[in-house]
Amino acid sequence: MSIQYKSIKNLTSMLQNKEISHKELINETFTLIESKMDLNAFITLNKDAAIEKATLLDSKKNGSSLAGIPIAQKDLFCTKDLRTTCGSNMLSSFIPPYSATVISNLENAGCISVGKTNMDEFAMGSSNETSFYGNVENPWGKNLVPGGSSGGSASAVSSGIVPAATGTDTGGSIRQPASLCGITGLKPTYGRISRWGMIAFASSLDQAGPMARTAEDCAILLNEMCSHDNKDTTSLNEHIPDFTKDIDQPIKGMKIGIVKEFDLSKLDSEVVKVFEESKKHYESLGAEFIEISLPNISLSVPTYYVVAPAECSSNLSRFDGVKFGKRCDDPKNLEDLYIRTRSEGFGDEVKRRILIGSYVLSAGFYDAYYKKAQQVRRLIKNDFDEAFLKVDVLMSPTTRGPAFEAGSKGSDPIQMYLEDLFTIPANLAGLPALSIPNGFVDNKPIGLQLIGNFLEESKLLQFAHNFQKTTDFHLKTPSGENI
Amino acid sequence: MSWETVIGLEIHVQLSTNSKLFSGGSTGFGAEPNTHVDLIDMGLPGVLPVANREAFYKAIRFGLATNAEINQTSSFDRKNYFYPDLPKGYQITQMAMPIVGKGSIKIDVDGSEKVINITRAHLEEDAGKSIHDLFDGETGVDLNRAGTPLLEIVSEPEISNAKEAVAYFKAVRQLVTFLDICDGNMAQGSMRCDVNVSIKKEADEELGTRAEIKNINSFKFIERAINFEIERQIRIIESGESVVQETRLYDSVKNETRSMRSKEEANDYRYFPCPDLLPVVISDDEFNDIKNNLPELPDEKEKRYISEANLEEAEAKIISSSKTMANMFEEACSKTNDSKLVANWLVGDVSALLNSDNIDIEESKLSSNNFAILIERISDKTISGKIAKSILEEVWESGDDVDNIIKDKGLVQIQDESILEEIAQKIINNNLSQVEAYKGGKDKLFGFFVGQVMKETQGKANPKSVNDILKNLLNS
Amino acid sequence: MDKKTVTTIAYLSRIALDEGNEDKITTDLENIIKFVDQLDNANVDGIEPLTNPLEKKAQTREDKVTAKNRKDTFLDRAPKSNEDYFLVPRVVE
Repeated sequence: MSIQYKSIKNLTSMLQNKEISHKELINETFTLIESKMDLNAFITLNKDAAIEKATLLDSKKNGSSLAGIPIAQKDLFCTKDLRTTCGSNMLSSFIPPYSATVISNLENAGCISVGKTNMDEFAMGSSNETSFYGNVENPWGKNLVPGGSSGGSASAVSSGIVPAATGTDTGGSIRQPASLCGITGLKPTYGRISRWGMIAFASSLDQAGPMARTAEDCAILLNEMCSHDNKDTTSLNEHIPDFTKDIDQPIKGMKIGIVKEFDLSKLDSEVVKVFEESKKHYESLGAEFIEISLPNISLSVPTYYVVAPAECSSNLSRFDGVKFGKRCDDPKNLEDLYIRTRSEGFGDEVKRRILIGSYVLSAGFYDAYYKKAQQVRRLIKNDFDEAFLKVDVLMSPTTRGPAFEAGSKGSDPIQMYLEDLFTIPANLAGLPALSIPNGFVDNKPIGLQLIGNFLEESKLLQFAHNFQKTTDFHLKTPSGENI
Repeated sequence: MSWETVIGLEIHVQLSTNSKLFSGGSTGFGAEPNTHVDLIDMGLPGVLPVANREAFYKAIRFGLATNAEINQTSSFDRKNYFYPDLPKGYQITQMAMPIVGKGSIKIDVDGSEKVINITRAHLEEDAGKSIHDLFDGETGVDLNRAGTPLLEIVSEPEISNAKEAVAYFKAVRQLVTFLDICDGNMAQGSMRCDVNVSIKKEADEELGTRAEIKNINSFKFIERAINFEIERQIRIIESGESVVQETRLYDSVKNETRSMRSKEEANDYRYFPCPDLLPVVISDDEFNDIKNNLPELPDEKEKRYISEANLEEAEAKIISSSKTMANMFEEACSKTNDSKLVANWLVGDVSALLNSDNIDIEESKLSSNNFAILIERISDKTISGKIAKSILEEVWESGDDVDNIIKDKGLVQIQDESILEEIAQKIINNNLSQVEAYKGGKDKLFGFFVGQVMKETQGKANPKSVNDILKNLLNS
Repeated sequence: MDKKTVTTIAYLSRIALDEGNEDKITTDLENIIKFVDQLDNANVDGIEPLTNPLEKKAQTREDKVTAKNRKDTFLDRAPKSNEDYFLVPRVVE
């Protein structure tokens, strides 16, 4: 029996009913991975350790909740003694001496990490084209980008190799690739999942989250990924609910906000059509729609492109060729070591953002850019606070369109930055948001974004699950068959 | 022309916590290189800082002792620059909201008092150490010290000369050791300072261009570096040139300061709030607890020694001037009722030894405990004062245990009067002509008999007993 | 943003601009800065900056040593080291 496209729920029951052994499942997973190497979804495989763990699980009687579930880990999470590159040449031989909390949490729950997925370098990109390890293919079409930065994770789930993957989302890096690859991806509230061991891009925006075929699987994963972690002082010390508990509850009478300032008239009419159909569908499920004004939201992208580069310019200073990671050959002196290591180790997009970050923090510009952006950020957050007094969730397209061809955005970085127009605001305000498949444009999947109030992942998952119970967009596969 | 000097000090005080400011790495000094390095101290990708609460408590003690404003909510910023012993490429420090605000400290320069205002005192992490001279063509990096909590105490530019600067540094050192927030060990680098020096004409309102001399860690070098720098700046200005604002290094071997151009090329530190760290809030309860348990400070000790231990003001001042001396006094007083005796030993013999060796009490081999035992043995008459003096000298050299010396050398005072009487009788019998002369009125000869008895007992006889016994025997 | 500024921030960032990409990077940076200049449209008078979406106080830790000695792992995995130290080209002060 093929395990391709199976959900976590499916696989768990197959394992429990002994339809398949843990070892067989992992072996099958690697057969799939190897048959789809052309996707370039993985940077490093963890085959030996994965098979070893599966063998061990077969010899045990009672497994933990996710025992034996194969999972792909974004290569941004440190994995003890397993190479972690963050998509960069800088870390092409970096072997972390410790594991990220989220990796430990998932592995302690029984998940088997099968490999590290490809990604935009240091998570900076929206098409996976900035990876040092090459482009990732979107399973939905030759030469289509999978989105980014969690492109490898999205591609691996979308192609049915694994039921689940981890991602991280700083400005849309879970939701945008989920949308472009036709899967479900959730960015939780900032602080829900520990950042310990996540290689930082922009510390005040970064958040890990689950990527899976269904909202229900995302909920199952989220249950294990969240924890209050003393090693991360921004990790929330709040009650962690069972995120699967209420997903079946109807949404009748609940309110969905449509953001007035998200000007859909500039989008492709097919994209708008898909969105309008989803609205109708939610109406049929009993939801009410309210137009909401978020007056400052149009400044989200410029705000983000000050805050994120500022933080990244500082976060990436530790990559200096002294203690870990790459060092250039034969440095003449210390300055030469720094400059050549960093110039050879980082790709162009990373360099651009570091330079922008250094600029907006430098003397004379700090107030005009960095400080101002953080002030606007508060205005944006205040707008959301107001909105959630009136609605349960906010709804928008996740992306401006479906997957595009590699290289098609040209060399103007701003065109790529605008890709994250709808996703960035939730990061700035620290709010949970998810993307679910809601239709097709030119036979390519596209996603619907729902943004929730602080700590209200359960509600988002409830909205998403209600949608998925009554639609089949998430069940379509690139090969054209339904699961 | 008459020049006026304006000096400001930035003193870096290593706080005596067990673990580092943002990690569970040990702050212990002198370990094998790179063994006290946590994942966080390495600045590994993905690690995050978690602030050590104790560092805040210690900083607040300093603030309270300098009558400073205390910010119960304080926050951290990043100072960005590249250096091999700065693992993250930035230092976490407190720029915008320091834990301690404006305060002041009294200093004593040649008997006259002056108040130096303190601008702020903030927490920050120390860097590691670069070893430049151990390897051919390479610098070695030891990260043991990286992340050690520092309290940076910034003075107003109100110090007028090298002497005052040293007095200020000493006052800060005295305070932080009494507050038990730093061991004050200069040789181990527990206190270092950066000195900002500028000169101006007396009549000028505006300050001159300053030079910053980095990382000085001894009183002597502070004084010499400042004096060198003043001379240098005067020479420059009087030759018609102007002083460059720059960072300089003091070379103690050549006794000169020289420019550190390497640090000048990039001095835009691009400070911004550290996004990994939320503001730290000290509750009112915690604050009051620190306030109510503030250790006794030198002034208070001095007063108490005068009123409770009946010391002279001069004695009390000397003993309360250092934490170690004060501890010695208090520990020894717990072993005897005779606080005067303790004070006499400290101000007398111990101070004399310190002076002749030209060292501070902290550097001597005499431990507080050993000193207390010495006093106890004098008090309980185990040893005579004369023997005690020779033991002190021996302990001073070797650091050996007082009781062991007494035991090994058989220095216990002879208390048994019958033994002393027997010896005295023998001396009298052997010196009948002197006995006759004494009885004939030569009173001075009494000393001769005492000396003979002491010689016979190798100094172990209780002098008072010997006196009594001899008087008895000779006058009968 | 002129070339001199770009050179300065490139040095601050320890990133080299080579002949080939200097113009392109300068143009990109100029465009990005022009793009973020939209922030000028916002009225932020009296608005406190929001540096972290969690407006909470930090959790702190007790003063305990919890680290273990990982010297060998750290030095083994470093780009260049000897048995005791990380090594870099000699720094002259």
